[in-house]
Amino acid sequence: MSWVQAVSLVQGAEEEGDVFDEEADESLLVQREWRSHMQRRVKEGYRDGIDAGKAVTLQQGFNQGYKEGAEVIINYGQLRGTLSALLSWCHLHDNSSALISKINNLLDAVGQCEEYVLRHLKSITSQPHVVDLLDSIQDMDLCHVAPAEEKIDEAKDERFCENNAEFNKNCSKNLSLVDCSSLECCRAQEHAHPENPSLTWILEQTASLVKQLGVSVDILQHLKQL
Amino acid sequence: MAGEQDLLDAVVMADERFHREGYREGYEEGSSLGMIEGRQHGTLHGAKVGSEIGCYRGFALAWRGLLHGRATERDSKKMKVLEALIGMIQKFPYDDPTYDRLHEDLDRIRGKFKQFCSLLNVQPDFKISTEGSGLSF
Repeated sequence: MSWVQAVSLVQGAEEEGDVFDEEADESLLVQREWRSHMQRRVKEGYRDGIDAGKAVTLQQGFNQGYKEGAEVIINYGQLRGTLSALLSWCHLHDNSSALISKINNLLDAVGQCEEYVLRHLKSITSQPHVVDLLDSIQDMDLCHVAPAEEKIDEAKDERFCENNAEFNKNCSKNLSLVDCSSLECCRAQEHAHPENPSLTWILEQTASLVKQLGVSVDILQHLKQL
Repeated sequence: MAGEQDLLDAVVMADERFHREGYREGYEEGSSLGMIEGRQHGTLHGAKVGSEIGCYRGFALAWRGLLHGRATERDSKKMKVLEALIGMIQKFPYDDPTYDRLHEDLDRIRGKFKQFCSLLNVQPDFKISTEGSGLSF
């Protein structure tokens, strides 16, 4: 069991049976002092350890998250920029307000998609750790867990990477929200999320809009990667 | 006396050991906490930049298509500025937070974009949903 957990367990037990006993053995007192001193040392060490560990990985995590965030969201930005270009084209050529309001609707839709994706990106990073589960299993005192401990530690890292890879794979290959919502690794608590327009639909609408404007669909070439 | 010294050593060793054990556990915990926290912040910032750059890129590439094949002198000036803008955007490492000229290059791109827009005489309305620089003309 973890030393830190042991500390809190012992403290809990002591607080319960804390009766002032005049006939207490002096050695008992010394034992208690010793114990509380050592408990303090463990806690101090734990706090120092947390600070040190954090300092090491904070920047690393930031760089990773930054890359992921940028790579996923840039495609939505491109779509918005494209629609904005079409919008400004319409304004210049005095096109019908119907088309203009259609483009504005699509712009809003992309904005919604973008927000949705960003929220899911953030929720991905706060997954429960296998280590926490392992501690719970250990507490249940199942003796056959011990040898499996090492495998689980490796699996923890693997699974974290795997989940991220899966998310990235799904998001970069096909940004359709229908796929995003089926990602197991998301574990979104927002099951009752309002209907979000699908990216595919938006792209189709954009293409038809371009045709309506009498412009070649080639100008949407750069969106193919979506 | 040797006995006392041994006892003292044992106490110091135990003291250090308890601290070390706590430290070890804390370090592991802190490492993953730092990773999570770092990633959350990073994701937000990366998305902000990706969103903005993506916008400029989509806008510029679409306009390149729209202006394609136009031969007037005014249009050729627009094309020149547009090509410069596209060049800047393509070269920009949008996914690298450690890029040392991140802010300067981003500002140059913004400036070039504004120049292009004024040549076009357009005012794009980029509803940038992620918090931060909203574009307004």
